[in-house]
Amino acid sequence: MRANVWSGRNSVSVENVPDPTILNDRDAIVKISSTAICGSDLHLYDGYVPTMKRGDVLGHEFMGEVVEKGTGVGNLEVGDRVVVPFPIACGNCWACRHELYSLCENSNPNAGIAEKMFGHPTAGIFGYSHITGGYAGGQAEYARVPFADIGPIKVDEGLSDEQVLFLSDIFPTGYFGADLCDIQGGETIAVFGAGPVGQFAIASAILMGAERVIAIDEYDYRLKMAVNKAGATDVVDFSIDPDIVEQLKEMTAGRGPDAVIDAVGMEASHGHGALHAAERVKQATRSESDRGHALRDAILACRPGGIVSVIGVYGGLLDKFPSGAFMNKGLQLRAGQCHVQKYLKRLYEHIKDGNIDPSFVVTHRMELGKAPDGFETFKHKQDECVKVVLKP
Amino acid sequence: MTRKAAITVLGDTEEVQRRWGEDEYRPDYIAAADAAVSFRPAPGDRGTEIHVDLEHGAPGGKLGESVLKLTGKEPLSKVKDDLRRFKARVETGVIPRSDGSPEGELAERKIKQRPAQPLPAPELEKAGV
Repeated sequence: MRANVWSGRNSVSVENVPDPTILNDRDAIVKISSTAICGSDLHLYDGYVPTMKRGDVLGHEFMGEVVEKGTGVGNLEVGDRVVVPFPIACGNCWACRHELYSLCENSNPNAGIAEKMFGHPTAGIFGYSHITGGYAGGQAEYARVPFADIGPIKVDEGLSDEQVLFLSDIFPTGYFGADLCDIQGGETIAVFGAGPVGQFAIASAILMGAERVIAIDEYDYRLKMAVNKAGATDVVDFSIDPDIVEQLKEMTAGRGPDAVIDAVGMEASHGHGALHAAERVKQATRSESDRGHALRDAILACRPGGIVSVIGVYGGLLDKFPSGAFMNKGLQLRAGQCHVQKYLKRLYEHIKDGNIDPSFVVTHRMELGKAPDGFETFKHKQDECVKVVLKP
Repeated sequence: MTRKAAITVLGDTEEVQRRWGEDEYRPDYIAAADAAVSFRPAPGDRGTEIHVDLEHGAPGGKLGESVLKLTGKEPLSKVKDDLRRFKARVETGVIPRSDGSPEGELAERKIKQRPAQPLPAPELEKAGV
């Protein structure tokens, strides 16, 4: 089959690779109808994630048709149309039983590698380096889906691919970011980053009853989408005024936002082991080590007693963590890769009921063979790119 | 340097211990090393703790050392592989396999991962899938 593979720093190529086969009773094979490039794929593309190998099939946002299944997959039939969540989760371990699916204790067969980096292993993820398992991804014609009895959600034919595809990651991830903010109604929420995940964090905060949602970005076209499509009530364009903290305080009459969502993250660090990672971060260009600004500013801007929700991806260590502000203002720091399986049904209902149409983020549609162009366009935000969908 | 390894398996202690003894589940490396293995209930709803002590097993320490010399590998990582595979099999019924680590958790594989792309048939066979 054809698949988009990582072929070194700033390089992907569409190559012929073997078709996937069932390796376990709980596997299914999905023939992919639509797949997307995620902002977190850019961390891999840019070469900031360790444990990538040339030939790794990329992609963790995909959907399609079940064409084969193992004997242990009772909930799906061949022919079912499904969306596949990006974290691979067994459903049996303590974490899964507590709906902490992205922390599945069994789905990462490179647990030993992850343990060295993070202290503990986290769940396997499709097409997302070897720290998260070394699983082939979904920017391909077919994918093997392990634990297919737990992850994939069946979707109605009446909904288009683009309406449901983002259940795989960015819609639940944005929703999770808002969910971590404990929105009861009437809050002011600030969202750093108006990329695809930020857009869904904004839309979700509105769905949950936030009164004001402030979008923060440096690209006018993304801020316009945040207001016109996601429902942001205010914007901070830091290409005009870089002092985000002051602007947020002024907009909230000194209070600061009740919760702040970091949907930016930081380019993950290199190397194995925390100390090595830190050194590599320090060696990196000044612009890359500056990426920690989103989290620092989130902490400085958040109102005392508020919540900082981190859904942007971090990989190593961060210098100059504002521990004084964090501690003295009594903030709560919450974070994680989204527990997609926990939110799937709820968000699918929102789409079916017409409360949200996630396809609003799509700006580019391409054939899978054009994936290298898609990565370049997305990375450099050319042509007002927000989201690229690939068709195998 | 600690010569101990431990894991928590979600399951009743009697059940976990019974499975440990079954041919189908028995962790080969730990069994061969004859390490001291103890089982105890974990706090709350966490299941069962399995503790492996390579130093205080019958001839465990010595065998551990010789294996270390033979393979050039820290035997503790092999013990951890065994524990993770046992946990996965008891909890999920399968050995989780990726394209980069088709054998499942394997110390040797951590150093030499395959690319994460589907395996051709001969490689699947080699990986014992």
